[in-house]
Order: sequence, then structure tokens, then C-alpha cells
Amino acid sequence: MKYGMVIDLTKCSRCHACVAACRVEHFLPLRVTWVKLIAYETEDAGVVDVSTFPVRCNQCKEAPCVDVCPTGATQQRPDGIVQIEAKKCIGCRYCVIACPYQNRTFLSKELDPGYFPGHPKTRFEEKGKKLYPHQRGTTMKCNFCMERIDYGTAHNLKPGIDRDATPACVNTCQARALTFGDLDDPRSNVSKLIRERKPLQLQRELGTDPSVYYIDGIIGGKDNKAPIESQTGSHIQHLSSVEARAKEIFPELKQGK
Amino acid sequence: MEKHRQWITTHEWMVKPTAQTEWVDGQGLLIWLAEVFSALGMGLYLVALFLNNWWGQVAGWFIIVGLKLPFHFFYLGRPWRFWRAIPPFTSAWKTSWLARGMFFTIMYSGFALVQLITTYQLEHHLVGASSLGAVTALDWVMRLFAGFFMFLTGIYCGFAMSYCKSVPFWNTGMLPIVFVIMGLADGLGLVMGIGLITGGVDFHAIEAASRIFLLINAMLIATYLINASYQSITAEYSVKQLIVGRVAVGFWLGVVILGIVVPAVISIISLYAAELSPPLLVIAVISHTIGAFSLKYCVLKVGIYRPILSRVPVY
Repeated sequence: MKYGMVIDLTKCSRCHACVAACRVEHFLPLRVTWVKLIAYETEDAGVVDVSTFPVRCNQCKEAPCVDVCPTGATQQRPDGIVQIEAKKCIGCRYCVIACPYQNRTFLSKELDPGYFPGHPKTRFEEKGKKLYPHQRGTTMKCNFCMERIDYGTAHNLKPGIDRDATPACVNTCQARALTFGDLDDPRSNVSKLIRERKPLQLQRELGTDPSVYYIDGIIGGKDNKAPIESQTGSHIQHLSSVEARAKEIFPELKQGK
Repeated sequence: MEKHRQWITTHEWMVKPTAQTEWVDGQGLLIWLAEVFSALGMGLYLVALFLNNWWGQVAGWFIIVGLKLPFHFFYLGRPWRFWRAIPPFTSAWKTSWLARGMFFTIMYSGFALVQLITTYQLEHHLVGASSLGAVTALDWVMRLFAGFFMFLTGIYCGFAMSYCKSVPFWNTGMLPIVFVIMGLADGLGLVMGIGLITGGVDFHAIEAASRIFLLINAMLIATYLINASYQSITAEYSVKQLIVGRVAVGFWLGVVILGIVVPAVISIISLYAAELSPPLLVIAVISHTIGAFSLKYCVLKVGIYRPILSRVPVY
């Protein structure tokens, strides 16, 4: 079993909901993002094209970060997820340098000044310290929401199909641009997409064999297959998903306190 | 003509060739210093071992134990967990050059300490006749092991960097060789400095060796840069940054002029002078050392990541 993700760039509506969902899911410090959205525009002969690339840890099958880690803090699980065991990390930052995708972040004091520097921590931050503590002086990155996957598989749920076993960014994607599943299962949605759409892997020539695939495309072009409502309603979705998550964390919100 | 224009709205570091900062800026300066002292300590110790100069060996050992290791230690985000990177607490030495480097450095520190003690005892006739043979044998064994692990300590930094495919300029097997040869050339310079204080050093012999090492070093650096400029667009961009870009002053003044040309000129003067004047030797020692600092700084500074989306016209 190897988990992977297919990102359909022809559907991505650039709403940043995946970025926000990841922040909420993992209580990320202010200046840290595990999921990032590269957006750029190019102009060819007067025609402006806009492209977006949501990027996250590629969970490489031949991960350089695993090889360079001097303590074994970065490990690859049998299901292919590359995870960091924070209590083993010494903060040497060799993995940050070695990652060809620049998807690792060293959590320094500067990146974690609190959501409102100079003011008391928010309740969200306080909860995060208990529910999903991050250690300063160590390295962090996307882990495909492995806690959700572990929870789901323990309850006979199927990652990529059942929401409770699926990464938060995939769940929240209004445009359904993200597909998650088992790369080793030929019947899974990701395997089908890989077979049918021939997606690309970033910097494949480096031999890292990423588990994140991209179906290439240009937003706003004829090949944009995102539902039209997603292109206008993405921010509503984004806010509603944050609100739902907030209610999970703070039960008192449900009661309107 | 096709025109390209690009506006980066977020994370331009992923679509533009961006220099690494973790190992050279801010706290990363400690890594730079640690790497410099790795090269200087290795060069000095190995040259002093070859010339049988005890004070040089002591200075080389101190540079590694008293300077390199502390700089590495204080760089870590979680310094007190450093033991996790040392075998047998980790098995990562199979793949990680950093874990290997930790091991090499610790082994060197131990072997060299014993060797310094045995050599001191032998040189000052502090060993009784009955144990002279055993101590002499131990001294040779320790020299062998200390020298071996010192060499590995000096070369691992280069391998640690050259392993990174993310930084094409470093990603070549030539980097460790450049660092080792430069370290040995600088070691020759530092031994002259030791000789100026303690005496007992044949400056002419050292200058003769220095000429050879500097020539090899100059050729290696030139080959390295030519090779890198053919290797990939990003590596070529790094070379441009080094030669005419933002670190050009450091490269030409620090590495080329002070690190190679000035010591080379002084070593050529030594060919014709019966005795080298101390001020000239001091200049040679200082310029060697500045060259060592400059080389590592420049190489770390132009460590530029290849952009993730290489199809973006950025150059």
C-alpha cells in the first residue's frame, strides 16, 4: 500500500482552501504553511495565462530527506508516508537543504511569533498546543494527515473515499482538484487518474519518484473543468470548512456560547 | 519575438532560482564557521602529522574539538539531542553524511588525544625503557587511526553538500576534493604560523609543497567551475553569481587573490630568497586563512536550489 495524491490543475480554482484547511487541521504556526499554492502568470504574444501549482511534501518513494537525516527522525512508513518524529529531530536542517521541492520548514522562533504577536495566544493556539503540539527547533512538513489515515484505517474506513480517513486538503477542495488514494490499488481513484490522464511528477529526473502527481493545465482556459460554482463559491466553502473545524475543536461554539 | 513576462504572486522562491539560506545566513553562519574549521583543522593536523610537528597537531586537534564541534553544536535547533546522531544511537550512518561526519569527528578526537599524549611522552623521554616499545607502537597505531579519521572528517563536509541534488552547484563529486586540497594548502600555511611561534619548521620545504598544492587547487577550482557551468542551468547561474554576481568580490578577492595568488607569490619568492622574512610568512598565513573562510562562504552562498517549475522562464 502506497498512498498518493493526484492534483488536477485544470480544476484548481486557486481558492487557497487547501492551505487554510491544512493550517486548521495541524494548528500551524503563523508563518508556516505545509501546503503552498504557487501561482504565477505568464504572457505569450499578448495572451496572459495563469497557472497554479498547489505544492506540499511529495512523499517521495526515494526520499532524499530520509537518507540525509542523521538521527532517523525522518522515516518512511510502510504506506509510503514520510513522517518526522519531532522528539528525535536535532534541528540540523540537512533535510531542508536536501529536499528538492523546498517543502520542509525549520520551525524557528521567527516563524512562530503567535497569531497576534505581543498579545495573548488565541484559544485556537492554546488548543493546538494540546492537540497538535509543534516543537521549535525541529523540522516540519506535510504528512498527508497521517493521523486521519491511521484513525480511518483503524475504523475500517477507506482513505480517499471516506472523509474521516482522507487528508483535510482533499476533503476541503471545492473544485475536487485533489484526489487521494492507494497507488498500489489499480482500482483506486488515483490509479485510474494516473492511467487515464498521464499526470506529471515534479522534477522526476532526480529519481525521487514523488507520490504527488499533477494533471497539467491552465486555469481559465478551455480545459478548465472545475465546476463553475466552485470558481465563484470557493471562499464560502473555505470559510464554512474552517467554521466546521472550529466547532469540532470548541464544542461550546456549537451551543452558541 | 516571443516575449515572456512573469508575476509571482506567492512563493516565488519555488519558481525562481533561490539561494539556500539555512547553512549560511543568520544562525547558518555557525555552519559556515564549522565547515571552515573542519578544513583548517584537517589541513593543519595532517600536515603537522606528516612533518612530525607536535604543536601543529595540538592546534589542529583544538580547531576540531574546540571550534568546529561547538559551532556545529550551537547551530542545532535542539543541541542537547546531538547524541541521537551518533552511532550506536542511530543507524542513519548508512545513508547520512552528517551522521558519518559526527562519527568520524568523535573517533578522530579520541584517537588524536591519545596520540598527542603518547607523542609528547616519547618526545620528552617520559617513557621508561621497559615500555618504550609498547608506547612507540601505540603512538604509530594512534597516528594511523587519527590521521585516517581526520581525513574523513575533512572530506565528509564536501560529501554532505555534494549529496544534495536540490543544489546542482554542489551536486558533484569534485566538491569534496576541492575542499580537501584547499584544506591541505591552508594547513601548510597554518603550520608556517606555528613554526613562526615555536620554531623547528622548514619553511622552504613547506613553501615547496605549498606551490604544488596551490597549483592543483587553482586548477581544481577552475575545472569545478567550468564543469558546473555545463552541468545545468541552475549550476551555471551559481557560477555566474560567483564570478560576476553578488559574491564576486568574496570570490575574486578572498578565494583567488588572498587564497591562491598571494600565497603562491610568496612561495615563488621563497624559491629565490635564502631566508623568508617573518612579515612575509605572516602575510602568507593570514591570506591562506582568509582564503579558507572565503571559499566555504562563497560555495555556501551560491548554493542555489533548482526551481521546482523549471518550465517557467526565469533567467
